[in-house]
Order: sequence, then C-alpha cells, then structure tokens
Amino acid sequence: MKKIILGLAILLGSASVSHAHTPLCSCFDNGDDTITCEGGFSDGSSAAGVAMRLETSDGQVLLEGKMSEDSEFDFNKPAQDYIVVFDAGEGHRIRVPGKEIVE
Amino acid sequence: MKKKLISTAAGMGLLLSAACASAHFQMIYTPESALVKGGAIPVKLVFTHPFEAGHTMDMGTPEKFFVVRTRGENAPKTIDLKESLKPMTWTSLTNSGKAWETTYKARGGDHAFCLIPEPYWEGADNFYIKQNTKVIVNVGGEPGAWNEPVGLPTEIVPLCKPYDRWTGNVFQGQVLLNGKPVPGAEVEIEYMNHKPLLDSNSFAKEAAVEAPQDAYILQTIFADANGVFTFGIPREGWWGFAALDLDPDYTYKGKKCSRDAVMWIQAKDMK
Repeated sequence: MKKIILGLAILLGSASVSHAHTPLCSCFDNGDDTITCEGGFSDGSSAAGVAMRLETSDGQVLLEGKMSEDSEFDFNKPAQDYIVVFDAGEGHRIRVPGKEIVE
Repeated sequence: MKKKLISTAAGMGLLLSAACASAHFQMIYTPESALVKGGAIPVKLVFTHPFEAGHTMDMGTPEKFFVVRTRGENAPKTIDLKESLKPMTWTSLTNSGKAWETTYKARGGDHAFCLIPEPYWEGADNFYIKQNTKVIVNVGGEPGAWNEPVGLPTEIVPLCKPYDRWTGNVFQGQVLLNGKPVPGAEVEIEYMNHKPLLDSNSFAKEAAVEAPQDAYILQTIFADANGVFTFGIPREGWWGFAALDLDPDYTYKGKKCSRDAVMWIQAKDMK
C-alpha cells in the first residue's frame, strides 16, 4: 500500500512538473551561415547548461555542446541536413529540423 | 434651484470634457501578441478613437519608442526603435492623421514595446494629452519579465500574462506613476472594434460589435487602493486600457497636460 502511495505521489509530482515546465527551443538563421538556438522553459526558468546536439536524420552526432549562461547555443550551419536536439532529459527533449530554421 | 442648476451644468461640463478627452487612445498595433515563431512583424503607432474608428489625431515625433526584450532569466535588453520609425498616414472612417510605422524582428520571449509620445494639444479641451503606451508581444511561449515595470513615467503593469488571456478571463493591471501605485486611478477601456488593415493603413469599415448605447463605447472602471484594476474580457480581440490624468498638476508648455498610461492586450476565443 505504501508503495502504491509513493508511486502515485511520484506520478502526480512528475506530471505537475512537466505541466509547469515545458521545454522550449527556437532556432534562428542569423543570415551569415550561423544559427542561434534559444532555449528555455515555459515557466521562465533558465536552460543554461542544457545539452545541445546536432544530429543527422539517422542519429549520427555532428556536434555536441550546451546552452550558454543566456540559454543560447550558436553554431556554424552544417552543409548537410541536420536536426538540432535540445536535451534537458527524458520528457524534456526538443528536436528542431534544420530545414525549418529561417531568419 | 439656481445653484443646483449651475452645479448640474458644471457637472455636465466636467462629464462632457472627460468623455471627450478620454476617448483618445494611443495605439501600438501589431496583428498578433502571441507569435508561434519569430520573424519580422509590422508595428503601427496611431493616435485614434478605436471603438468607432473615429477621428485620428496627428501624432508628433515620438519622444521615445523602444522595445525591452526579456527571455527567461536573462537580463533585459533595450533596443531603441525611434530611428526606425517611418511617417505614414492612418485613415479612419472620418479623417486621416499622421502616424508612424516600423518593422521589428522578434525572436523568442517577451517584447515590451514602449512609446512616449509628444504631448498632443487637444484644443477642444484646452489641455495636452500624453499617453505613454505599452504593448507586450511574446514569441514561442517562453515568458520574460512581463510582470515587471519597464520604468515608464506612467505605466500599467500587468498582473496577468497579457498575451495568454482567453475570452472570459479577467485582466488585472496595476497603475503606476513614477513607479508608485495610483490609488483609485480612473481607467477607461475601449475595444478595437474595426480591424486595422495594414496594407492600406486604415480601419476596416465594418464594425465587429454595435454599442447598444454610448456608454458602452468607452467603459470606465476605477483601480483599488493599490492602483489595481480588474476587467472581465467579454470578447476576443484587442482591448485598450487608459489610466487617465495620473499627475493632475502636470503641465507642458505652460498648459495642463493629462498624463495617461495606456496598455493593450489581445484575448483569444477557446475553440
């Protein structure tokens, strides 16, 4: 019984966290062959230090880095197709296809 | 009896002048306050009577026009937009007036557009009107410092996120003069009843709603002892709030100047 209650509490707890804390990531083409991605959370909390990756469509990692103190991540635009992955952990991952990134 | 009549007449005069003065609304207009994606957005500055798409006043050169961008916990960034303004003519249903426009490239977070206009001489009332105006646009849903004062001399600070209001929600704001709450501030409210047409810089002829009587054109509420006002939003679209004459002794060029604070919010239907 205790276990069930604990399990419920964890479920409820995590559910309310994810509601109040949706990850957000938008990327913009700076017009000089560089891209800036801005990350954050829907409650306004910082995304500083969140892991960032550029991947190919088959999962090959092109570049790894993390969000800066200002929750920004800059990179040179790859020549090939790519996906930006904002990785703040399970349930807090966002994938932005390079093709959708405009000025 | 005579006394009563005189005081009634004086009262009517007061009422009339208040009604005339207050129907003026400074607009900072852009079509969408909650953008899904960033990009270039049009911004129009028009001093008009929005409910009736009525008389549009000639704006002088703004004293200041800038945007404060805030995103998450990042420090605010102020970007001066005054030099980017281009003069244009806005056409209402009754006349045309001098106005301003620009285009702004918005990325994520909150963008608080702030206008400090040149005072407008209202000859009919024998005083100037200066409506410091603020509109907050959000991109992507990531909030910034929307609930913090920007620091305008007169300012409405929203207590509800101004770009997430459903129709039927309330909107609460606090009226400030030099950063301090104005107890009992008079706040007038108008609905943007005629769609602004950006290509022609004019109002659409068709009205969205019809006022059953003149009182409904310009609604009036008062702030409480903390300068906080509450308004239930009955319809989707843009709603303007003007807190009037917050500094009754204020003068400009030796004449009385009504120092107002204006803010616009956009509500959306649940559908």
